[in-house]
Amino acid sequence: MSPTDESSTDGGVQLSDDQLFGQLADSDSVELSGRERLARILDAYVLAPGRVAWNDWRTRLGILIIALFVLAGTVGPRVIEAPATNQAPTNHPPFEGGFGAITEDGGWIDLVQISVGSVSLPWLSFEFPLGADNYGSPIGRQLVHATPDMLEMVVAGAIVSVGFATIIGVTAGYKGGRTDSFLMYITDIVMTMPGLPLVIVIAAIYPPRQAWLVGVILAIDAWPGLARALRSQVLTLREESYVEASRTMGLPSRTILSRDVIPQLMPYVLINAAQAGRKVIFESVALYFLGVLPFTTANWGIMMDTAYSEAFALVDLGNFYQLLWPMSAIVIISFGFILFSQGMDRVFNPRIRARHTKKVGGGDEQPPTE
Amino acid sequence: MSEYVGRAREGVAATLGFLAGFDYYWRKIGHAFVTLISVTTITFALFRLMPGNPAQAMRAQFESQLEGSGQAADPEVLDQMVQVHTGFDPSQPIYMQYFEYVRDIVLYQDFGQSIQYGDPVFDILFRAMPWSVFISVYGLALGYSTNILLGAAMAYKEGSRFDGTMTVVATFLNSIPYYVGALLFLAFFAHDLGWFPSGGRYDTSIEAGLNPAFMASIVHHGALPIMSSFIVGFGGGALAMRGNSVRILGADYLRVARLRGIGSVRIATRYVARNAILPLYTQMMIGIAAVFSSSVVLEYIFTYPGVGWYTFDAINMRDYPLLMGSFLFFTIVTLIGILLAEFTYGIVDPRAGSGGENESY
Amino acid sequence: MTRSLSDHEIRGDPESILEVSDLDVTFDMDRGESKVLDGVSFEVHRDEMLGIVGESGSGKSMFASALLNAVVDPGRASGEVIYDDPDAGPVDVLSLSEDQLESFRWEEVAMVFQGAMSSFNPTMKIDEHFEETIQAHGEPMDDRMAHARELLSNLYLDPDRVLGSYPHELSGGMKQRALIALSLVLDPEVLVMDEPTAALDLLMQRSIMNLLDNLQEEYDLTIVFITHDLPLVAGLADRLAVMYAFEFVEYGPSEEVIRDAAHPYTRALLKSVPSVDAALEDMNPIEGESPDPVDTPAGCSYHPRCPLADEQCVAEDPDYHDVGEDRGAACFHWERSSEAVEYKLGVDPVVPDEPSRAVRGDEETVVSLEDLEVHFDQSGFIDRLFDQDATVRAVDGVDLEIAENEVVALVGESGCGKTTLGKTAIGLQEPTAGTVRYRGHDVWEAKRGEGEIDHDRIRRALQIVHQDPGSSLNPTRTVRTSLAAPLKRWRSDLNSSDRETVVHNLLERVGMKPAEDYALRFPHQLSGGEKQRVVLLRALLMSPDLILADEAVSALDVSLRVEMMELMLSLQELFDTSYLFISHDFANARYLAEESGGRIGIMYLGNVVEIGPAEEIIHDPKHPYTKVLRWATPPLDPDAAQEARETEPPIREIDIPDPTDPPSGCPFHTRCPEAREVCREREPELTASEGEASLAACFREDEDHAYWESEPIVEGSSGENAS
Ligand code: SF4
Ligand code: SF4
Repeated sequence: MSPTDESSTDGGVQLSDDQLFGQLADSDSVELSGRERLARILDAYVLAPGRVAWNDWRTRLGILIIALFVLAGTVGPRVIEAPATNQAPTNHPPFEGGFGAITEDGGWIDLVQISVGSVSLPWLSFEFPLGADNYGSPIGRQLVHATPDMLEMVVAGAIVSVGFATIIGVTAGYKGGRTDSFLMYITDIVMTMPGLPLVIVIAAIYPPRQAWLVGVILAIDAWPGLARALRSQVLTLREESYVEASRTMGLPSRTILSRDVIPQLMPYVLINAAQAGRKVIFESVALYFLGVLPFTTANWGIMMDTAYSEAFALVDLGNFYQLLWPMSAIVIISFGFILFSQGMDRVFNPRIRARHTKKVGGGDEQPPTE
Repeated sequence: MSEYVGRAREGVAATLGFLAGFDYYWRKIGHAFVTLISVTTITFALFRLMPGNPAQAMRAQFESQLEGSGQAADPEVLDQMVQVHTGFDPSQPIYMQYFEYVRDIVLYQDFGQSIQYGDPVFDILFRAMPWSVFISVYGLALGYSTNILLGAAMAYKEGSRFDGTMTVVATFLNSIPYYVGALLFLAFFAHDLGWFPSGGRYDTSIEAGLNPAFMASIVHHGALPIMSSFIVGFGGGALAMRGNSVRILGADYLRVARLRGIGSVRIATRYVARNAILPLYTQMMIGIAAVFSSSVVLEYIFTYPGVGWYTFDAINMRDYPLLMGSFLFFTIVTLIGILLAEFTYGIVDPRAGSGGENESY
Repeated sequence: MTRSLSDHEIRGDPESILEVSDLDVTFDMDRGESKVLDGVSFEVHRDEMLGIVGESGSGKSMFASALLNAVVDPGRASGEVIYDDPDAGPVDVLSLSEDQLESFRWEEVAMVFQGAMSSFNPTMKIDEHFEETIQAHGEPMDDRMAHARELLSNLYLDPDRVLGSYPHELSGGMKQRALIALSLVLDPEVLVMDEPTAALDLLMQRSIMNLLDNLQEEYDLTIVFITHDLPLVAGLADRLAVMYAFEFVEYGPSEEVIRDAAHPYTRALLKSVPSVDAALEDMNPIEGESPDPVDTPAGCSYHPRCPLADEQCVAEDPDYHDVGEDRGAACFHWERSSEAVEYKLGVDPVVPDEPSRAVRGDEETVVSLEDLEVHFDQSGFIDRLFDQDATVRAVDGVDLEIAENEVVALVGESGCGKTTLGKTAIGLQEPTAGTVRYRGHDVWEAKRGEGEIDHDRIRRALQIVHQDPGSSLNPTRTVRTSLAAPLKRWRSDLNSSDRETVVHNLLERVGMKPAEDYALRFPHQLSGGEKQRVVLLRALLMSPDLILADEAVSALDVSLRVEMMELMLSLQELFDTSYLFISHDFANARYLAEESGGRIGIMYLGNVVEIGPAEEIIHDPKHPYTKVLRWATPPLDPDAAQEARETEPPIREIDIPDPTDPPSGCPFHTRCPEAREVCREREPELTASEGEASLAACFREDEDHAYWESEPIVEGSSGENAS
């Protein structure tokens, strides 16, 4: 199997390109069925990353948490009644009746029978399990009904900040020169501006009334860090031999960016999208809590504000649960985001992914001999 | 002769090199200045140029005030009132207003006059500033020291139970917003247990001055806010430090140093810590902006009258000059912090300012 | 697989300073236990220079680490390493306590690693490294620092300057020498060097080797020199030991081993190494692959690749057979090896009579460079303010024409501008002055849309193969997608299964079988040689007219280089292309250029100083710099090596001058041994001397030049050198 073994194709006679490629493409051509191709793509881009992600308990937990909130944000409002004042007694405590409430009548949880068609099944019925606020509005319902707006904010904020950062960072890194200096100057300026006060000033002057707009305004100062990171990544990647080779092959910049550059940036982009999501949640809640934003959308921050300034939950610790629930929601969803973003790092590592692809070529693990 | 010429040349080269070394610092200072001007411009633009702007709102406010007190609203009187508070004259062309606004800020530190307090904005904020800086700097310093120590410890014990647990704990702490921390501290340490006061900068019953009781009271009042801004400084830094340290623990020069028999203390400080901290610097620069930002919320929660508290107050009272002024103050304080960080970076990392700057070609 | 040496050889031999017996190093891996040293027994003699040669992955670095009991975690070393302390008697290094090890290392045995670039703490000045070492071992500071200064100046470094610098302020060669000084500062008995010169230029490597030779004599050192580069140590080492598959297969006095190696592997290795003196027909790659440490073949580990292998070799593990005095080879059939694998060392330099193809000039010119200049401005704002010029003249006025199907090899030290020149020639780097033409059309005019030729055509015709196979392929894409990219872009007539077929056929052609399997691999699942073959194929799939091969084989193991170059040449015929081959290694350039009847160009500080047919440049160099490079390329033949070892390096300065401040006149005058005063003032042009096809830029070529009347430059009188 000497690689230099020349078969009959050339005996010093120069072939034209067409002849050569014709010959190369002719001999026992490889047929790939469409299904096989699809299966291959599916395996490489969907199943393998999925397996990598699922293999790590932290990523798994992150995915589960995010899925839970997405579920609460999409299906939740449809199955759970909208909150309103005086649905429950004011300052109704959570888990009223403790564990005993399951068997006894009344309390926060009861066993009931529901009938589906002609069969009746045992079912659980909840009665303000998380309690109610100062106005008798049940907290559990408020939490769920605030979720769609929260998600809208997060998605809008993440898309805008990450999109902006990617455009700026990649352009600066790839173009270099004056474009680069200019863009980075702007980035540095935004980076050194204190973000929250800026957002507060803007929000105070032009109060945003839609959830997505809140997300966008919060994204204003969320992009510089990522833009810088992406730029330095692109600067390194641009010098990578394979990018230069692609350029030498005359591939258009668009193709090079989308095939050689962006895929390497995906870990950063996704991690930062998750971080941006977390930041949007943190800041929006803070602003609603401060009362800077108009109470036109539902938000956990509004619940905290009510608990803090109406129910005096800090002074009257009996009402502390009214603060605790929204705070837990924030902490749990950000925890989910962080775990998810950490897991993405693994998913995008081709070494780890190859181990989870079905068609592994050969031993990919080299022992440390040198 | 040629030796002499050579030496002279070397001398000139050294001088030039010395100045070129300062190139780094000059650039940073220039950069900070440009940022300041940009922020001033943005403030001005927000304040003045956009439709439905605060200046007009303010005018309308005065108008209704005057009307309420039964006076006729004379446009000139209104213009004058607006000018007193904002420092610029609405009847002038916009570029003149901009020029005067910047001139007043740069030359006379004139940020306008607060509507609700009637005092110059600069005086109010200048008195409040040290308190915000006190809280933020301590919070940041504590947060970063913890990051460094914890991250290094995790790296040394890489793969151990301690490492695994602390990674999860650090991740979890990272998902707690600072104000949630603040509320928890306040509820338990101040209201429930009563260990710390729930608000204020110091005990007003103690005579202010350099006496121990007063100092103690400042620390006592500052403890909870500092703890909360510690959460901001903490961020994800410990994990980053861990990553850096792990990388450096595997570096060639560390292996060589161990073989040379260098003591473990020196390796930990001079080799691992020193090199692992460098990348954290960039993060810290963003951290400085973040920690000052957070003071708006924290000072509100702890009723701690610093710049952040006045910002909040200004929003509530629609006191636009104060709001704009505090925004500028935040920027200036942040810029100074970042400049300090960058200057020390030049000392800590010998490679700063040489190379790496000519990436673009 | 334990080899036994007689007891007499292991213990109490007054000659030996380190005795290794039954040394195993193992790593636990997911796939099983990986044995990276397998029952090695060996001894190092006092005051010798021992060369250990092996390919990457043969376990040679592990051997080095084990000598200091410094195997990295999670590796484990077992067996015995006895160090015969001249004062305290023998100790087993592997059973020393941490404290004892701390004083043993560096005081008795010191080590120099491969990566000098990263062996210093980047945030500490060099002198601190010396001081802390001295302090840690409780030695008198002033004495030792004086010693350090002496060492540094012995290594041709300016002690004050080096000690006061941060690592990033020194060049690679300087760092490497500083590291050697650092390892000798405590006067150790043994110095273990693990590929210490691998990242350096040939000339620097060679100079360091010479300095080592001096140091060894001066300080009574025992040196263990580990390398993959056989010719590099062959001439200098007293003894050689060859490592294959985690054990020594042959050892003996260097000269004897080189002249008539006993083990089939050693012979094959000698045959596969590109060198400047062996005949081209004699260079052949070793077939097959090195074994995997997790399952090494049973019996003799070389049997899958050995032409002499029989049943005995498969069943039994051979012991060392006495081949001569103090010589051994682990082979049953060593007597027959010389017939089975023949090699010749050194041939008489034959300059062929027939003019080579390069000068025939009947081929059309593909790319031509005229008066090309590429300058990089590196001055900062303040520099400009003070009118300080910090321009790097990477390429400074070069003319070059490359004909169809020609191979041109450019050779020079790093920083000489050869890569910049290459990239400019294929239109990747815009020249600051001069023109680049493709078949007569200005490339940059076409790029701006002003030429009459479509830029796409030019882009397609000029391709590149990079040095580092690791980064030349997109890590997230399979071989198949990487190779399909050029087809997709340029051959829209092929549908996807045609493309698949082309890719498979080509993979098989270059020996990557089964192609179906290789096509689906990611780059990290390929070996370096395989990656480089894929990269070459990718460039060729564009059907280019010229390929810039930038150090294309330098990152490969020595024994794979010939194979890769053969492949390049055979595919050259198939795809009808020219190569511009860039190398810092004379031997590689010679192989490729001479085999194809091409030319070699020598570059120095942005200038081509000599260019001509490969045979002439190799066997009859004219420019003093070419002679230096030629000297730096070690010959395999022991006689020639001995001669080269005895000659002083034909150069006055080891380090290259600052490229932002190049010397006036002839750029080489600061280092040229023949330089005279006139060389400082005037710059020589490329000229041909009578009856020769090559051109050289040196006044010595002109017999009537004012040079011959000029005063020689005397050492020390030149101001530029001192700084
Ligand atoms: S022992 Fe056999 S297989 Fe091994 S090298 Fe000798 S002849 Fe070849
Ligand atoms: S011109 Fe002078 S300095 Fe240059 S190579 Fe020839 S002899 Fe040496």
